[in-house]
Parts: sequence; structure tokens; C-alpha cells
Amino acid sequence: MENQIVDLHLSDRATRQKWQQFLESLGIHNFSDAEVDKIDFTLGLLDEQGQLVGTGSAAGNVLKYIGVCNKEAVPGARFNAIVSALTNRLFQEHRFHLFVFTKAKYSASFQHLGFKELAHSDVAAFLETGDPNVDDYLAAVPRVAGQEAKKVAGIVMNANPFTNGHRYLVEQAAKENDLVYVFVVNTDLSLFKTSERFELVKAGTADLKNVIVVDGGDYMVSYATFPAYFLESADQTIRYQTTLDARVFRDTIAPALNIKTRYVGSEPLSRTTGIYNQVLQQELPPKVALKIIERKTATNGNYITATEVRKCIKDDNLDAIMGLVPATTQKFVEDHVAILQERIKEGMNINGN
Amino acid sequence: MAEIKERLRRTMMFVPGNNPAMVKDAGIYGADSIMFDLEDAVSMAEKDAARDLVYEALQTQDYGDAELVVRVNGQDTPYYANDVRAMVKAGIDVVRLPKAEDAEMVKKLDADITAAEKEFGREEGSTMLMAAIESAKGVINAYQIASASDRMMGIALSAEDYTTDMKTHRYPDGAELEFARNMVLHAARAAGVAAFDTVFTNMNDTEGFYRETEYIHQLGFDGKSLVNPRQIPMVNKVYEPTKKEIENAKNVENAIKEAKLKGSGVISMNGQMVDRPVVLRAERVMRLAKASNLIDEEGNYIEK
Amino acid sequence: MEIKETAVAGTLESSDIQIMLSKGTDGIAIDLESDVAKQFGNQIKKVITETLTAMGIQNAKVKAVDKGALDCVIKARTIAAAQRAAKTTDEPAWEVL
Repeated sequence: MENQIVDLHLSDRATRQKWQQFLESLGIHNFSDAEVDKIDFTLGLLDEQGQLVGTGSAAGNVLKYIGVCNKEAVPGARFNAIVSALTNRLFQEHRFHLFVFTKAKYSASFQHLGFKELAHSDVAAFLETGDPNVDDYLAAVPRVAGQEAKKVAGIVMNANPFTNGHRYLVEQAAKENDLVYVFVVNTDLSLFKTSERFELVKAGTADLKNVIVVDGGDYMVSYATFPAYFLESADQTIRYQTTLDARVFRDTIAPALNIKTRYVGSEPLSRTTGIYNQVLQQELPPKVALKIIERKTATNGNYITATEVRKCIKDDNLDAIMGLVPATTQKFVEDHVAILQERIKEGMNINGN
Repeated sequence: MAEIKERLRRTMMFVPGNNPAMVKDAGIYGADSIMFDLEDAVSMAEKDAARDLVYEALQTQDYGDAELVVRVNGQDTPYYANDVRAMVKAGIDVVRLPKAEDAEMVKKLDADITAAEKEFGREEGSTMLMAAIESAKGVINAYQIASASDRMMGIALSAEDYTTDMKTHRYPDGAELEFARNMVLHAARAAGVAAFDTVFTNMNDTEGFYRETEYIHQLGFDGKSLVNPRQIPMVNKVYEPTKKEIENAKNVENAIKEAKLKGSGVISMNGQMVDRPVVLRAERVMRLAKASNLIDEEGNYIEK
Repeated sequence: MEIKETAVAGTLESSDIQIMLSKGTDGIAIDLESDVAKQFGNQIKKVITETLTAMGIQNAKVKAVDKGALDCVIKARTIAAAQRAAKTTDEPAWEVL
């Protein structure tokens, strides 16, 4: 009999324990609820005796917690079996574009299975497989004539929602460059939905003729590249993820679009974003310059933040938003305040990013 | 009409239909029959891919002298019709019907095979069929199933579903299968077709496997279904004829030759008339002896 | 036959090949990952291309991860992927079988 692939239901305590023990025996130790709760499904590989000899999970389009024991097995066979079963299950769900974060030493094993490395650091690697891939993503980004000779900049923002602070950052970049790409974070884990954030960025920058607003896809501060942006995480985790995120931008995104400068706002408040900025400073230059724009303050001297805007929505204090956001965002919030408050009531966290 | 050739059917090895490594290598283990499985071994999402894979393998792979069988999906599934058509087109030797419960199901398969033979220009009657009996109803109707079609090659007991239907499960001593084994075997013999015993899945219990195989050999089964190629030499060993059986069979063969030389219609040996069952048994023993490499080219027993 | 959606057939296990088909505009473009690409890459691509062409597919993006598949396996997986992509799995592609 060949090895058998089975579903592991982690909601069952005994199964969860067995699964965790198996992975711990392979040196995998991060089992925080924030990570484990995001798992959509988990598969196990059983040998002829019914022993667990391999496992892998998926959260969205990201493969996670992959581990195999190669004792008394053809090298690679179990790894291939579990990755094959995972990817085929995701393909059946019509998820054709998959990612994996892994220790750098396992990158080659994944590349053997058709995964392409997007970035790696000393400790970790980030790979994708399937369709569409990063080449398809980049091919679909709009370009202007003679772009290779132009001065091009890039900004990545979640814009939850688009504020005057964001606007100021884009304006500065637009002034100093021929062309500015604004990449809007694609992951849909914020109070304002991805489509809403995207539209508000577009509306709020419509008058700036040299700005192109683009969907950040899975490659910039997405749940795939940078889950810590959306999950409470340790500093070390944030560093390790942002290093890969920065390198994807530096090595793949920026060269394809001739982006020479990345603009970010200074970050006096958010720990996660603060670390992100430090890592960008460390990773991007000299290939891509990093320009940190001092954050805009409101008339009362406080920094303008989207967090503050969300708090006002929660407190039903819409008057206070005026001055913090452009008219386009203001109008959207007024028109949708009920549904936004409903989302907060249903448990949407508004204190993160 | 399908010509149901007498042949050795000691081992019928199950091969998961969507596993290229196993489909590719199925011919190298010396199984008498290879059964490509499109049914239980293939998940629902892969039914189409397994059918394509087995089809293409049948076009190109050399499986030697093995009799090639495909287990199609049941008649109550959306896969059955295309399974039958594709496998007939591929020129499979035998189509195996799972979960046979009565003669009607066999007749339907017969008609579907006939239609497919016409559709794809295959010789009419060239495809055999067999039925797996997997329920109490199937066991009770075993004879009508076994005799429902001229294409019928044999019937097989499938114990996993059967024991579930009987509200029991499998035990090492096999007492729960006693009635079904005897019914299936009698039905097969009465209908003049082959009888196959069920699989034995515990690969670590070699002793138990030998015990069960010796038992079904003693009952008179043609052979056994297998899930692991390691079991093939074990079954063959159990089915090896003894030196005495071989010598006796050789004598019968000699008597036949002599009768032919004399132009006599009557075969006699040691002053007794040799009737047909004795001739058939002798032929079977010699086939087994040859397959087990126990005789030389002239049919003489090779001393070990 | 027309590719309506992205589809995959085959696995990453030994002796198999995983074929992912999606819409293409520029003929049949094959991205092949194989340990034996040097010796057999052209043959693998040829089998895929011939099979797709026989099924009436002129434009497709193909991502293939080969694990040592025989030609008959490559053909079978290509057929299965194409039928899934065209949403015609209910009726086998008799013209290529």
C-alpha cells in the first residue's frame, strides 16, 4: 500500500496535539493562535502503518506548516507527496496562484516542484507557483511612453482610509518625480474593503496627472508577504517578513517599472510600520533610494493617521474627520457610516493597520 | 461471443488508476491479471484524469501476458458510462463491474460494452466482463450474476463493503466470510466462470496471508485479489502443484498424445477411461507447473 | 476547444507531470521545470504541444512540472488539463484518445 493523504481536523484537540508534536519534532515552534487560526485546512501523510510522516496546511493562497519525516523513505518523496496534495487541493478550489514562506535551506526543494523564488534572506525564502505569476502581474501594470528614461517613484499604502496624510505623501512624490506609482495593499483584512480603499486612493489623487494607482497584488505588504502587518507579531517575525517584502520590491518590482525611489511617511506611532521603515532603509539602497517624508500634522498639531479616522467613525464623531481626510473620503464615510460602524460592531479590529 | 479463455488467474493485482508510477510498473511483478482501478482508489476530483491515464497507458505500455482488467465506477455514478466507453475503446480485456447485485446490472454492462464495441469499431464480443460481489444481495444472487452474460469471465468477492453490509468487519479467522466465499465459489463453478477471493490488506501479517490463501486455494478459488506486489510470489507458492500432481498430469498428457497417434477417440490410462474433468485438471496442473517453473520444456518435473 | 478557465492535472510525485493550462494569446507557450529538461525537455514540450494542437487549442500558457513522466503520462495529463480548462470533462476527447 502506498502512503495515504488524509484530512487533519485541527479543531479536534487530540489531532491538533499530535500535529503540533510532529512539527515540533521537526524543529517548527511557532504555534501562536494568530497563525494557527488562519489555517483553512491541514493535510496529513500516513505511512503503511498509519503513522503521521508528513503534513502541510494552507491559509488562503499561502502554504504553511509543511513538515515531513524522511526516515525510511525515498528522499523527497514524502515532501513531494504532501506539497502535491496541498497544491492540488487548492487548485480544486480554483486558487491557482500559491505562495510559500520557508527556511532558506528548503527553497531548492520547492524550486524542484516548479516554485519560483521571489526573494530570500539569510534565514528565509519566499516563493510562488501557479498562475498568474509575478511576470503576469508586472505585465499588467500600466506604463507611460519613454518610462525607462523617466524619474519614477513608488509608494505602497493600505490607506484604510485615504487621508490628507497619504495625500501629502503622494503630492511630495509627484512634485519630485515624472511618474509615481501608488500601490494599494490588496489584502482584504481592513475596515475599508480593498475595492473601497483602492477607489478612495484613486479619487483622492485624480487631480495629480503623473500618479498611477495600482493594485499591489500579492507582492507588496500583502497577507502573503507580510502577515505580521495584519497579525500581532514579535519584532523578529516582523523583521524577517519585511526583509523579504523589501527585497521583492527592490529586486523584482522596482527594476521592471524603473522605480528609483520609494517614498514612505515617517512613522512615530506604529511599531510594526516603524520596523518596516527601518528594514526598507537597510534593504532598498543603493538600488532604490528611500525617501522618508515627515508626517503631516493636523491643525491641532496631532499627526494625521487613518487610525484616528477609524476611531472617529466608531465614536460616530464625523465632524472630527473633516480636515483629516480629503473631500472624496469624507463623502464616502458620510454615505457609508452605518455599514462601517456595523463592521466595527461585528468585530473588525480598527486599532491595527 | 466473447471467448473466455481458460488461463491462470491466481493473482489479480489492484493498481490505483491515477498513480503513474504504479500504472507504469504494473507489468513487472508477474501478476496473472492486472486490475486498474478507476473506482475506490481514485478521488472524485480525479476520475477524469485517472481514466485518461489508464487509457494512454494501455495504448503504449507492455504488460506482457497479463490479463488486463479495469474496475469502472458503479452504474449509479456519472463516471460509469464514459469509463466503459473509454476502456472498450482502449481494448481492455475485461471490464470489472463493482457492487453487482443482480443479473440486470450485468446485462446492462453487457449491452453498454456491445454498444461501445460498435461505436469504436472493436470486434464485437471481444471484451470480457466480470462482476464484484460486495453485498448480501449480491451474494444471494451470485449465480444469476455469474450466468447473466456470455462475456462473463468471473466473479469476485469484495469483503470490505460486504462485511459492512453484514454489520460486521473482517476478522483474522475469516469466519464472517465463510458463507459468501462458498456462495461465490459455487455460483462461479455452476456458471463455468472464474472465482476470485477478496484482498488481504495487513501487509505485516505474512502468516495470516498464507493461512487465508491456503484456505481459499483449498476451497477451489482460481485466485486472489491483491493490493501489493509483494503478495504475488506468496500466492504463486501456495498454488504450486506437487510433484505427484505434476507426474500424474504428465501421464494424462501422454495418454492423450498416444490416443491421438492411434487415432482413437477414447483416452485411456492404466486401463481406465480418462474423462473430460480429468483432462481439464491435468491441463490446469501443467499450466501451473509451467508458470511456477517446476517443469522443463518437455514437461518433466525439475528436481530442486 | 477553447480554454475557459485555468486548470491543472497531474501531481508532483515520481513518474508524474503536473500541467497547468491557462489562457494565452501567443501560441502555445510552455514553461517547463524538469530534472531531465536537458535531455528530454524538447520531447516533453513536443508531446504537450501536439496533444493540445490535436485538441484544437492554438493558444495557451502551459506550466509543466515534470517528475520523470513517460510520454503516455504527459499526454494523459495534458488531455485531462485541457478538458478541465475547457469545462468538457463530461465528454472524453475521443478525437485524441
